Amino acid sequence: MQGFLDNLIRGWGYDPATWPWTQFIYLFFMGLFSFLVINFAAISGGIFSWAERRIAARMQSRVGPNRVGPAGFLQWIADAVKLLFKEDLIPDESDQILFRAAPYFMMVGFACVFVALPFSHRLIIADMNVGIFYILAVTALIVVGIIMSGWSSNSKWSLFGAIRSAAQIVSYEIPAGMALMIPVLLAGTMSTQGIIRAQGAWPWQWFIFDNPAATAAFFIFFTSALAEGNRTPFDLPEAESELVSGYNTEYSGMRFSYFFLVEWGNLWVMSALAVTMFMGGWQVPFLPADRLDALTGGMAVLAEIASLAIFAVKTLFFVFVVMWLRWTLPRIRVDQMMNMCWKYLVPASFVAVLFVAFWMLVVRAAPALGIAMHFLLAGIAGAAVVLFVLRVAKNLRDTGDKFDLTSNW
Amino acid sequence: MAETQIPPQQTPGAFGAYVKNVRDTAKSFWEGMSVTLSYMFRKPMTTQYPDRMGVPVQQTIPARYRGFLEVDMDICTACQACERACPIQVINIDILKGDGKITPKLRMERFDIDIGKCMYCGLCVEPCPTGAIQHTREFEGAVMHFNNLTLRFVPDPLVPVVPYKPPKGAEAFPRRELGEITRKLIKAWDAPPPPFPSEEAAKADHGKPKQGGALDISAMGRQLAARALQVKEDKPRLQKVLEEAMAGTDCGDCGYPDCFGYSDAIAQGKETSSEKCAPGGADSKAMLDTILVSLKTGVVPGAPPPAAPPAAEPGAAAPGSAAEPAVAKGPPLAKTLSKDELYKVVLDAMAGTDCGDCEYPDCDGYTKGIVYEGQTDLGRCAPGGEDTRAKLYEIMLGTKPPPK
Repeated sequence: MQGFLDNLIRGWGYDPATWPWTQFIYLFFMGLFSFLVINFAAISGGIFSWAERRIAARMQSRVGPNRVGPAGFLQWIADAVKLLFKEDLIPDESDQILFRAAPYFMMVGFACVFVALPFSHRLIIADMNVGIFYILAVTALIVVGIIMSGWSSNSKWSLFGAIRSAAQIVSYEIPAGMALMIPVLLAGTMSTQGIIRAQGAWPWQWFIFDNPAATAAFFIFFTSALAEGNRTPFDLPEAESELVSGYNTEYSGMRFSYFFLVEWGNLWVMSALAVTMFMGGWQVPFLPADRLDALTGGMAVLAEIASLAIFAVKTLFFVFVVMWLRWTLPRIRVDQMMNMCWKYLVPASFVAVLFVAFWMLVVRAAPALGIAMHFLLAGIAGAAVVLFVLRVAKNLRDTGDKFDLTSNW
Repeated sequence: MAETQIPPQQTPGAFGAYVKNVRDTAKSFWEGMSVTLSYMFRKPMTTQYPDRMGVPVQQTIPARYRGFLEVDMDICTACQACERACPIQVINIDILKGDGKITPKLRMERFDIDIGKCMYCGLCVEPCPTGAIQHTREFEGAVMHFNNLTLRFVPDPLVPVVPYKPPKGAEAFPRRELGEITRKLIKAWDAPPPPFPSEEAAKADHGKPKQGGALDISAMGRQLAARALQVKEDKPRLQKVLEEAMAGTDCGDCGYPDCFGYSDAIAQGKETSSEKCAPGGADSKAMLDTILVSLKTGVVPGAPPPAAPPAAEPGAAAPGSAAEPAVAKGPPLAKTLSKDELYKVVLDAMAGTDCGDCEYPDCDGYTKGIVYEGQTDLGRCAPGGEDTRAKLYEIMLGTKPPPK
């Protein structure tokens, strides 16, 4: 981002190193970009809340919210307005300061992730050389917010939810971190843009198909991300039927909406992270990263839009997968959740890291083997997708129903 | 998920169980997600009531559904069978009688069905000779005010409806399409509710003694009696106090033109009966008795008023309801005979042709109407003519029939 601003200043005919207003330009654009990013997070969170309800409804043979605006699209605005106008109740017996502060901790931990999250080839707030490490670090702030809200509410349900959440997030940080080590190993950098540049546009160039351990690492990471985002089947911290909504039981109005904003905004974060680390990020087919760098003028803008669209489509697909999982799987028990982490994901992630280190040595000795493995895994994945589509079509036919996306909308 | 609940057939080794869990997880994901995705591509089952239905919701309801009642006035014979059949007086029919020459003999001024009260038992539909009254499949009863729930099948009492004369021996009657009339009437349900009383009006109303209801009648009677004593000599003011004890409907059942007439007569000492106010019933009687007693003795009766309560109890039944005041005069046969004996006498007085001109199916029906059901029109027997009419008046009221 600094490079972009320096170029901008040079375009005006000044030298950024000596021009006295350089720092003010930096400050102004910092404010502007934070504003844009927070609004992106808020609006995407809102739209996801609508999308999730529509998708959930269809998966349950219902219609979902379809009255406010075309196809109910403006429902999330109506909900937001309602939440903003609701009285912000603060329980008398709660810890007043902590209770008020907790949602902001969540918001900050959530918004900070966007700093290192790429959107397209050039669009990233700060391409840090410790990007992944930074993301893992600031995400931990959300746990602080959850524990604060649970403790300060002075309610047993809230505290149960918060403690469950703490146990869950702290446990799943380990497999998530280990799984993210694998793209870092393969790319040789922690910068998010660097990891994307190390991959290619085509599926057989992605890290997920680099070797079987990387494929496993992708699933480990995705599962752990679900758990860290409190998404079903790991929504124990806010299990409605057990905990009366968990750590946010006592919240209402705007503060409550922050919790929900973070939950839905996290969909983008976890999906974008998965796409960045394993799925080739914003890479445009036929335009490798170094040729993208060389483009100028109108072509550069077009390529930028293309890369943005590719990244967004991939990310939105994973957002959909997360919603789809939510309406497929039941919530697991606390002991099952812990078993899954410590008995399956943690050992598997360690094995995967070791295997990848070993595999990199193998590929260095025989590069053809590495390329063959890429194509083999991508081919298996393609076959699995075809089989899955056939299976869905069979499920549809078996009950005598027709493919119908348009009626009763 | 990681652990499935299926009991293993043969205990696998620790590693086998571990691998099996992983495999089961993958398999259940595969199966479960293909099912949910296939449901996403189907048409939702939801019926979007009320505005996005393929057909009107009424047409999706079974044909024999008991919805709002509907009367086709074109084939209503004014037999009032439905009104009698109704166990909770939901149906109200007012019949206007004419001379049969210039004006029709019977006209219906009112045919109201209070849907808010109706319990949809269907008892009114069964006796209807022509099928004029039927249950429709209408059911949406949201209104601006519950008064709007009354369906008025005679929309204008000044334009009464002439009953239908079914052709002799007819089995089927031309009925309009079911639901059409009620749907049209339901449109009127959006009429605005009556305005709320303004704050001043509500305040002005407060504390004013109200007639009847759950008020303490004996206390009110004593209050009025005390006021009556103060103005004992001032006849116009005494009349006003007495009028307060009456129902104030100016019904004329007391034989005076209005409440003023009755209360003035009491105040002037021309009238001594306290039980003539039919709408006020036992309450008015008790209050008037209290006032009269206190006027006579000069003191207001104490906490248990000596005259009022004992007199009120038997008095409650004697004046009868407002509907049949004329019967209460004289000692006609109707008063002395039992109902069953009276039935025979009245039946004898009829012409016995079973012509049906009286709108009852036969003479037996008309007789039962007069004796058991309070039919007060005694001039319906066309074949018997003036002769029968005079006899019926003699039997029922002990009077000569009024000139036509």
